Amino acid sequence: MEPAEAEFLAEKELVTIVPNFSLDRIHLIGGDLGPFNPGLPVEVPVWLAINLKQRQKCRLIPPEWMDVAKLEEIREQERKEDTFTPMPSPYYMELTKLLLNYASDNIPKADEIRTLVKDTWDTRVAKLRLSADSFVRQQEAHAKLDNLTLMEINTTGTFLTQALDHMYKLRTNLQPGESSHSQDF
Amino acid sequence: MRYGHTEGHTDVCFDGTGSCIVTCGSDGDVRIWENLDDDDPKSINVGEKAYSFALKNGRLITAVSNNTVQIHTFPEGAPDGILTRFTTNANHVIFNSDGTKIAAGSSDFMVKVVEVADSSKQKTFRGHDAPVLSLSFDPRDVYLASASCDGSVRVWKIADRTCTTSWPLLQKCNDVINAKSICRLGWQPGSGKLLAVPVDKVVKLYRRETWDRKLDLSDPFITQPLNVVAWSPCGQYLAAGSVGGNIVVWNVETQECIERMKHEKNYTVCGLAWHPKHRQIAYTDTEGNLGLLENIGDGKKPNDKVASTVTKDYNDLFDGDDDDYLNGDMVEPQSSPKAGADEDDGDDDDLRPTSGHPRRAVIDDDDNSLDIGMIKANLNLEKEDGDDDQTSGFPALPLSSTQQPFYDGPMPTPKQKPFQSGSTPVHLMHRFMVWNSVGIIRCYNDEQDNAIDIEFHDTSVHHATHLPNSLNHTMADLSTEAVLLACESTEELASKLQCIHFSSWDANKEWTVDMPKDEDIEAVCLGQGWAACATSALLVRVFTVGGVQKEIFSLPGPVVSMAGHGEQLIVIYHRGTGFDGDQCLGVQLMELGKKKKQILHGDPLSLTKKSYLVWVGFSAEGTPCYVDSEGTVRMLNRGFGNTWIPVCNTREHCKGKSDHYWVVGIHENPQQLRCIPCKGARFPPTLPRPAVAILSFKLPYCQVATEKGQMEEQYWRSIVFHNHVDYLSKNGYEFDENTKNQAVKEQQELLMKLFALSCKLEREFRCVELADLMTQNVVNLAIKYASRSRKLNLAQQLSEMAVEKASELATAPEDEEEEEDFREHLNAGSAREWSRPPVRNVQQDQEMEDADETDGCEEAEETPEVPKQRPNPFSKGVTSAEATTPKSVVIASSSQGRVNPFKVTSNKKDPVVPTANVLDTMSKYSKKTSLSGSRAANKQNHLVIKPLTPKPKSKQASAASFFQTRTPNSSEKTAEEREEKAGNEPHEAKVAAQENTENRRPKTGFQMWLEENRANILTDNPDLNEAEIIKEGMSRFRMLSSEERMAWTEKAKGGALNDLTDDKKRKRSAADEDEAKKNQEQNSEDSNLSKKPKPLDQSTNVRLSAFAFKQS
Repeated sequence: MEPAEAEFLAEKELVTIVPNFSLDRIHLIGGDLGPFNPGLPVEVPVWLAINLKQRQKCRLIPPEWMDVAKLEEIREQERKEDTFTPMPSPYYMELTKLLLNYASDNIPKADEIRTLVKDTWDTRVAKLRLSADSFVRQQEAHAKLDNLTLMEINTTGTFLTQALDHMYKLRTNLQPGESSHSQDF
Repeated sequence: MRYGHTEGHTDVCFDGTGSCIVTCGSDGDVRIWENLDDDDPKSINVGEKAYSFALKNGRLITAVSNNTVQIHTFPEGAPDGILTRFTTNANHVIFNSDGTKIAAGSSDFMVKVVEVADSSKQKTFRGHDAPVLSLSFDPRDVYLASASCDGSVRVWKIADRTCTTSWPLLQKCNDVINAKSICRLGWQPGSGKLLAVPVDKVVKLYRRETWDRKLDLSDPFITQPLNVVAWSPCGQYLAAGSVGGNIVVWNVETQECIERMKHEKNYTVCGLAWHPKHRQIAYTDTEGNLGLLENIGDGKKPNDKVASTVTKDYNDLFDGDDDDYLNGDMVEPQSSPKAGADEDDGDDDDLRPTSGHPRRAVIDDDDNSLDIGMIKANLNLEKEDGDDDQTSGFPALPLSSTQQPFYDGPMPTPKQKPFQSGSTPVHLMHRFMVWNSVGIIRCYNDEQDNAIDIEFHDTSVHHATHLPNSLNHTMADLSTEAVLLACESTEELASKLQCIHFSSWDANKEWTVDMPKDEDIEAVCLGQGWAACATSALLVRVFTVGGVQKEIFSLPGPVVSMAGHGEQLIVIYHRGTGFDGDQCLGVQLMELGKKKKQILHGDPLSLTKKSYLVWVGFSAEGTPCYVDSEGTVRMLNRGFGNTWIPVCNTREHCKGKSDHYWVVGIHENPQQLRCIPCKGARFPPTLPRPAVAILSFKLPYCQVATEKGQMEEQYWRSIVFHNHVDYLSKNGYEFDENTKNQAVKEQQELLMKLFALSCKLEREFRCVELADLMTQNVVNLAIKYASRSRKLNLAQQLSEMAVEKASELATAPEDEEEEEDFREHLNAGSAREWSRPPVRNVQQDQEMEDADETDGCEEAEETPEVPKQRPNPFSKGVTSAEATTPKSVVIASSSQGRVNPFKVTSNKKDPVVPTANVLDTMSKYSKKTSLSGSRAANKQNHLVIKPLTPKPKSKQASAASFFQTRTPNSSEKTAEEREEKAGNEPHEAKVAAQENTENRRPKTGFQMWLEENRANILTDNPDLNEAEIIKEGMSRFRMLSSEERMAWTEKAKGGALNDLTDDKKRKRSAADEDEAKKNQEQNSEDSNLSKKPKPLDQSTNVRLSAFAFKQS
């Protein structure tokens, strides 16, 4: 899966906006949205929020977790634990990117949030690499990774599975008499 | 007995009026208890440790661990300076009787007397050789008694700081902690004739001046040393508390012990205080507990009498009425009227001391001559002496010192200041000047900038604006037409009203009006096409939005706030002075439209106790609402004589005690209270930008946890929140019909549920009461329900009621606009009989059965299939669902503008068409209400955002258009309609009941012909449905000669005017003509009466069958 696809899925997440126009409920295949009352917060999917924001038709209210104090706590937690900690949103990275790109004026301390989320992301991806590494090294048959988000899986998923395939091929082609340590080279 | 403080020394007293108990403890807090059960006392932290405190005239003096004696205001608890310092902590502080001086005794062996008003005037008394334990001021301010750890009790003469006498009474010790007793001694109040000193297990009473021991008070009950003594305010009783936890009260005159009390845990009593009026003693112990001893001396006759006279004496003080007991006492008659007078001119120095003392002296004893003499002497002494401290002290607080003892009734509340709804306090640098449903006006007032920001929720109204605030505007209002700003006058400039009329079509968008000199604007508001301001001259000035001065009227009191909406103006003002924290507000509501009228004529405004007004305005639909500081939202109930009904308590939604909701708007449909949650504050800051939250309404009905209570609440809420529909329609505003129908449906549905619930609980009387609230159709359903659940008695009752209702309806036809008619179609024979008046039932029976056998069998068997067989394309029967589908869609799109193309299921039957019968589609409501309710809501909402425009003609027009969009759906119908138009029959446009409209319309010639010949057509082609019958009828009608057709048309025109008797005569002709005439007659009745009652038994039966069908 491409990152763009993950982002596409993330756009279905709901965020709260404060519209500055008035519109009846709109009926879409995915469900009804609205009604839009000027000044009244309403939940809409991210794609619509961004669209409205770009047309300056709304003000975005950042999700509850998009807050410096909360993200700092999450980052510390992530650094402290060896395993993956649960994220506030399954699309935290995508949402941060999207919302900060299009509506940074409505999000207080946007830069700090960007850094914090990036830090968390880096920590998690590092953990993921590390666990993939140990997985391959120890020649485990299976592993369980909890609390991974779709985007994170996508960063290593294709590569790791292909790599494992290759290794499998290489291993099966080995002569049974040969010692395994020669592979280390 | 309850926990008061952490363990350690405590002290207690009552405040001047006895309204609360005040304690201090070693936790350094002074607590104010409303009563003993007060779980949330007000705490004032005065230091790390409080040793002693005294309270008088709103001043709280505390001796705390940092060796100071400090003042706090009472009851606010604001620090008010330090009176004096010692080298170690003070052990006891006391006030003198008039509160001008305090005395403090410290562990550094010193006693100081300090003027409260001027702490530089201090007198130090040296002489004790150990820490001072306790002090007591002579009520006449001549002497001061002190007890010390050196074992001595001394009496000092205050004026010359000399020790008058000294008794070695106590055990010696080196520190207060080691002292056996803290020896709280006391002078007798009033005359100060006796000084009581607790010494071991007895209380020794010493005479004034002679300083010899008068007597000892003791009791076998006391087993341990006494710690404290306290005189009752009347000076007749003496209470003493011991180290072992005993409290004993004596009548000093008789030396009789009238009360004994044992502390439940035997803790050392270290504080005792008498209630200033009642027979109550508050006490505290060294473990920090607080207790109250009530009804002292009860059950003992002589004491009882005395005690009651004591209270009488106090009453006498206020009304100046003397009773026999007092007449013997010459002091009182003089002093009490004087006391009354004293209240008025509190500066009167001569009177003041009299009023202070004799109040107690009166009750003192019968030894008047001496007493009066003493007092007089004392008076003169004070006057002559002119103890400079004292005289200078008097003017400082004459009022408080005199008012305190005399007036302890309700206190006037400061009047709340005028405010703009939706604004935050003026003193803030960044504040909201207004936040309403249109937009937000913010004001920035800091060093660099003084500006106003105007922002609209809906940017299509106007773009955001930034204005310099050079005039220093403090008040603002915002509407979709204009911005209104106002400032108070300054020294040079008059108070100004500035209006930015941005919707003006000319180039001048602004106008300004100066108020006359010395007239300040205090509140402003905008309506539709007008602006108003209330000024300090108690005037309300109305302007047009373009700046023309219009009406002007006087207010009965200073304005508090005002608000406008459409043509309505609501003004809240001070009607009078409120007492004890309450505000006394009045409200005027008027309409400034074409016909100007006042709706509320200065009625009192109901507020929660001890609260003030924080918001006033209108709901988006135009119903006046207001919010008080306790968070109660009240709304005008126009359906119940313009009363105010509490619709929400925002405090119930708050999490924390100090959280509040700041109301910004109220919507009735959908029911929304829009407000901003404020954590720990009453109003929100401008940054970060607050987000609006929505609260739901809840009427304070009882037992809303139960199903019954819940439904009752819902029912009445629905009624209250749809009052605006009636109001709007009465005032010719445009509004959504569907809302009303939806509301009626909802209400009737709730009633039916309540009915069913009561039925289940065997509450038949209640059932009848509920049925009384129902519309007639629903009553029929209720009858059915009752008979099905085998409550025949109930069913009987209900049908009687239904008959009654029917006759009521007949007599008052104009009242029942929303009463739905069952007849679905003009020509639908199947439903015809609904419209027959009950008196004709007998006559009808025969031919009704002839006419439609299907209904006959429906009646007989109640077969569920019957509705299906109805040959009526427009009936709501199941078979016609397909037929109605296209029509309903068309109507929906024409009236609503938008529809959900993805929603298939619930559109089968259009919810938008005003259904003929509220409940015969009940089973489908659950689906529909959600959809149509919200849609209607949207519609309404939409309407809300745009200002309401009066469109008196719109009803007619919309009805017509409604009608026309319908016609193309069936060609037969169109033809018929054309016929109607050809006949020039005026449409009776009634939006509320469109089907009715159709029915009531005088018939055309074709219709009359068709009615007469329907039976023929039916006999020829028995399996035709209604549409086909009409088609067939059309062709046959065309085959008639033109003369015949003309005749029919003439007949139709004449038919409407035919009187009833004529009809009756003609009715007895041939069988099939008979029916036609019935219809004709019916129609003439329709046009004459416009409404008619329905036959019950038949309708019931049909409904019953429909019900049975739905059940299956």
